[in-house]
Amino acid sequence: MKRKLLSVILMIAMVTCLFTGCSKGSDDSSKTGSNKAEGSKTSDDPVTLTVWCWDPQFNCYAMNTAGDIYTKAHPNVKVEVIETAWDDIQTKLTTAVTSGQTNTLPDIILMQDSALAKNIINYPDAFVDLTNSGIKFDQFAAFKTALGTVDGKKYSVPFDNGAAITCLRTDILQQAGYTLDDFTNITWKEFIEKGKVVLEKTGKPLLSNQAGSPDLLMLMMQSAGAWVLDENGKANFKDNAVLKEVIDTYVELVKSGVLVEVNDWDQYVSSINSTTVAGAMNGCWIVATVTSAADQSGLWGVTNVPKLSNAGATNYSSQGGSSWLVCANSKNKDVAADFLGETFGGSVELYETILPSSGALATYLPAGESAAYANPQDFFGGDTIYLKITEYASKVPQVSYGVYNYEARDAIGAAITKIVAGTDYDTAIGEAQKELEFQMGQ
Amino acid sequence: MKKRLTMGKRRKLVSWLFILPATLLIAGMSFYPMIKAFLLSFTKGFGKTSEFVGTYNYQRLFQDSLFKTSLGNTFIYLILQVPLMLLLALILASLLNNPKIKCKGLFRTMIFLPCATSLVSYSIIFRSMFALDGFANSVLMNLNMISRPINWLGEIWPARIIIVLAITWRWTGYNMIFYLSGLQNIDPQVYEAARIDGASVSQQFRKITIPLLRPIILLTAIMSTNGTLQLFDETKNLTNGGPANMTISISQYIYKLSFEYSPQFGYAATISFIVFLLVAVLSFLQMKVGDKRD
Repeated sequence: MKRKLLSVILMIAMVTCLFTGCSKGSDDSSKTGSNKAEGSKTSDDPVTLTVWCWDPQFNCYAMNTAGDIYTKAHPNVKVEVIETAWDDIQTKLTTAVTSGQTNTLPDIILMQDSALAKNIINYPDAFVDLTNSGIKFDQFAAFKTALGTVDGKKYSVPFDNGAAITCLRTDILQQAGYTLDDFTNITWKEFIEKGKVVLEKTGKPLLSNQAGSPDLLMLMMQSAGAWVLDENGKANFKDNAVLKEVIDTYVELVKSGVLVEVNDWDQYVSSINSTTVAGAMNGCWIVATVTSAADQSGLWGVTNVPKLSNAGATNYSSQGGSSWLVCANSKNKDVAADFLGETFGGSVELYETILPSSGALATYLPAGESAAYANPQDFFGGDTIYLKITEYASKVPQVSYGVYNYEARDAIGAAITKIVAGTDYDTAIGEAQKELEFQMGQ
Repeated sequence: MKKRLTMGKRRKLVSWLFILPATLLIAGMSFYPMIKAFLLSFTKGFGKTSEFVGTYNYQRLFQDSLFKTSLGNTFIYLILQVPLMLLLALILASLLNNPKIKCKGLFRTMIFLPCATSLVSYSIIFRSMFALDGFANSVLMNLNMISRPINWLGEIWPARIIIVLAITWRWTGYNMIFYLSGLQNIDPQVYEAARIDGASVSQQFRKITIPLLRPIILLTAIMSTNGTLQLFDETKNLTNGGPANMTISISQYIYKLSFEYSPQFGYAATISFIVFLLVAVLSFLQMKVGDKRD
């Protein structure tokens, strides 16, 4: 009986250990963490900055290079990059901040520009205000720093460029009697007219787009300096003349056959690489996709995007791109801020190193003056496309994406699908507005 | 230990002790979060801004068109998929239970094998098979059955049918295994007697197999209903809810509310509880209808 009793006690002890085990473990780790923090106040103690970003060829590579550059000047600082997919970063961030477990976050995270406002406004305490950290924000493209600015506080250090470009197959344009210049600084009306001619003469549509994806529409909206949310962040679908023109233009593109819709990203990429279409319009990171078809070298050209007809319309826009944020829980906030300021916000060398192999274009304007950016690109017929794109980036109209950007994009995506399928504009946009207002009315 | 327990009490005590670890684990890992989620469903905001709002979230449900769409979609999957899959599994099981069939093990393995694939990877394979230039379209084009490719995942009903097909492919074998094990418990003499009395194959199936398998059919029906109501991976990866949210499932909407949109955890918990209620009610109904034991 005694033995049984003993075994029962042991069992209960085991079960309780199991439950309390995790919490004790985390206590210990936070203790050691705080010890480290106290130690790191002297500047020579070793510091490791952990960073979450997602693309080994692109932003992880850039971060590692930046780490190497910084370590040369500050041998005590090491940068450790942990490859984490963007969706996972968002999920982990949401979970960590809402549950109060911010010690699970790294020192620096990379964030999609489209999610910047949402996360900074929802979790203002989770990120470090970098306004007075010494980072020279005026040396970045203005629209990029604006995206990470909330209530006058600058939270994000801009990284890659999402300036919108139109890539076109010059050989196919030639068959239709056009050159790249015929597609530069034009309006959407001209684009569609010329697109019809290209389609008729060569059988190739100019563009492809993922069905139901709002990306191209948002690109068009931003090019006109307009947005689907007004300055107070309220839904701005109904009676939005620019949105009406954008959607009419898109429907016209689809109906005329100048743009073909595909179902997913893989098909989008293959439609470009396999010459199903004669062009691509997206953020300038699409260059990586275009150049992956090495046999088409010399056949491509890069120009700006068509413009709408409203007052603020331009030939410049942005799609995608990302920025660095310092987490407020970081034990080495000052080191992290200094690191970002000296590398991404101060080192032309960094941008020169990463450009050739990753195509990572900066929004750090001084980098545009470096020699690496002026190298002609054989793939694009010897054109200096990086100079072109850096110039486009400086002209992108500023818009504020807002907290409910993803909700708005989803609502627009659903609406455009319905409209292309034949639903009347006012009905579909009315539904979208109602849906968005519901999500915002929590 | 002077006072000895009676035999009965001791047995009870020992059996309780055996149950205890599992009970504690389930209570800690399942029931505690459930209660917390229930409390969460009465709040809005998160962290410091969290506030108690009573039944506000439950009232919001009625104005939420996307919730209604996702609920409708999930029921479409449920109504089309569960009966189809269970019937198919039942037929396959009784075919493969025939002692005269050769290579039974091979066939059983082949039909069960889809269950061993990951939900995400099979969804992606289905997506590429039904792409515009995918396997399905090239086969149909080469057989001259269609003149231009069908946009399977870009149109509402074809997309829904593909999702139903995919789930059926993935789970039929799983249910078949339950039926096969149930069939092992039916005495072959019953079938022999039926054959001698001149019962046809379909009569045997309807009058012997189905009634004797009733408890197992009930079990699989409840499990499949539960599984379909919580459908997530397939819709997320095959269509991502599109076109225009016409294939989105409830779970995917909950995910969107929590992680893609500005988080609304309270409201997401509310919808989770609706799923919980639906599972409870449907299981109860199925038990009432299906369980003929006294």
